[in-house]
Amino acid sequence: MSKTAWAWTWFGFLLALDIAIPWFVLTHVEKMSGAFLFWTIWVAAAIISAFIIFLRWKEVKR
Amino acid sequence: MSVTFWVWFGIAIYIALGLVIAVMARRQLGAGVSEFFLANRKLGGFVASLTYSATTYSAFMMIGLAGLTYLSGVGALGFELTYLCGMFMMVFFLPRYWLAGKKYGYVSPMELLSDRYQSKWVGATAAILALVFLVPYAAVQLMGVGYLMSGVSQGVIPVVAGIIIAVLCAIAWSNIAGMRSVAWTDAFQALIMIATSAAVLGVVVAALGGFGSFFSRLESATPGLLTVPTAKGAFSLNMFIGLALPWLFFLISNPQVSQRLFIPKSVTAMKQMLGGFLIFGFIYTLISVLWGLSATLLVPGLENADLATPSLLTLPIIPMGLAIIVMIGITAAAISTIDSILLTLSSVWARDIHKGLINPRVSEKRELRVGQWVIPIMSIIAFVFAWWAAGKTGLAFMIAPLSAAASAGLLMAVPTIFGAFFWKRATAPGAIISCVVGAVVVLLFQLTGWKPLGWWPGTWGFIVCVILFVGVSLATKPPKKKAEEFIGYLKEKLAEGRFI
Repeated sequence: MSKTAWAWTWFGFLLALDIAIPWFVLTHVEKMSGAFLFWTIWVAAAIISAFIIFLRWKEVKR
Repeated sequence: MSVTFWVWFGIAIYIALGLVIAVMARRQLGAGVSEFFLANRKLGGFVASLTYSATTYSAFMMIGLAGLTYLSGVGALGFELTYLCGMFMMVFFLPRYWLAGKKYGYVSPMELLSDRYQSKWVGATAAILALVFLVPYAAVQLMGVGYLMSGVSQGVIPVVAGIIIAVLCAIAWSNIAGMRSVAWTDAFQALIMIATSAAVLGVVVAALGGFGSFFSRLESATPGLLTVPTAKGAFSLNMFIGLALPWLFFLISNPQVSQRLFIPKSVTAMKQMLGGFLIFGFIYTLISVLWGLSATLLVPGLENADLATPSLLTLPIIPMGLAIIVMIGITAAAISTIDSILLTLSSVWARDIHKGLINPRVSEKRELRVGQWVIPIMSIIAFVFAWWAAGKTGLAFMIAPLSAAASAGLLMAVPTIFGAFFWKRATAPGAIISCVVGAVVVLLFQLTGWKPLGWWPGTWGFIVCVILFVGVSLATKPPKKKAEEFIGYLKEKLAEGRFI
């Protein structure tokens, strides 16, 4: 699988978690350590993975 | 001195500083359309990052998102962070837009579509979508400023006065030096936004006894707001998808932000723009949601949740000076979004409607003049909409749902944009029919309030749009030569820059 395909797959996985965890796993956890903490860590993972990808970019010739 | 005096004084200082920055930006203004609308594609990473942040984040955050959090709890955080997660797609789209913009000289994202699909009607269709659906989005910014100034001055300053101030600032800052004045004032305003909101949240959390005590009180006083769906039924899965789906693709569906993908001067500037924005967005989102949650404890029982922020700012625990500075920070957030929308719509009208359809032989000077005239005209339309909507109540007229409704319409251009970069088989008829029918579905469902199966208008519109885009494209003839050349060029350059 190409790097592009891996990146799209990872993104799809993140979106699946976006629905699955808060609505089906944490739906009865009425605490800050529930959906609030999940979404905070989840988006941090998305941001870090974006950094890992774009920090490799280099200048191109015009 | 009265509160009202200090509010006016603060506004006057803010406007004066903004004008000084805009006039300084004008000294660097060169000639031509690309210079006016894109700062000649030569913005550094720091300013590009701040203008992207200030354009994206608006009154929606500290008023609309805070209000939605106040009403519906933690689901609002998930909704807004889904947008930020969607920014992951920038690793695909940012280099593609940037490379194509440099190579073909596109001024607007719609011009890219017209060229790629070899049909000026594709760009014109996307342009009309933007002109229609960005009006309510610009209007909610104006509403936010109006609510805020009225709230902080305890009703002495009428909502309409705040709206007028925002309109006049936006017209001035977008006209003085185009993208240069917008970007420079955006940078100034982004710094005010983040600093003031962090400061006031710190004061409120301290008053609540620190984060530990704040969270404990939330868990005991409003536990139903800390889960999805909430105890009162808000943020059902359908509501979440209905709100979050347009937000997920905001980075490409909203031309005022996708146009910014053309402006970094280098790959390094691109990286700084993206990295800076992601950090800014993460911090600002958490601040806005925590702010809304703190309002549930400190000002419970408000009828209009969009008034949560103005109500919090008038509490005795917040010093008047800080409240006024925060008000200016939120005003800055709103105006920095409106002026960017106005500038983009003016470029879209001038390039994709006037030059694309009405007068293809128009001179560059005349094209620029036409664009500049569009700015006050669109401002007046947004002003009328804001004035009308500000008098209404109910979920549909809250800032966050109105913003998402506007983006639901813009969402209809997303399959066309994906097709342009990733699918050689995509065709102009597929693009046009999917945009038009999808937008009609969204408008129809929004105006009638119809939600078959409980799905929101944007969800239905998007499903219809994708099916039509794929189906019609497969049944019609693609611009094979252009598709090969466009995607082939990008493929070669993407490999060279180690992009994906």
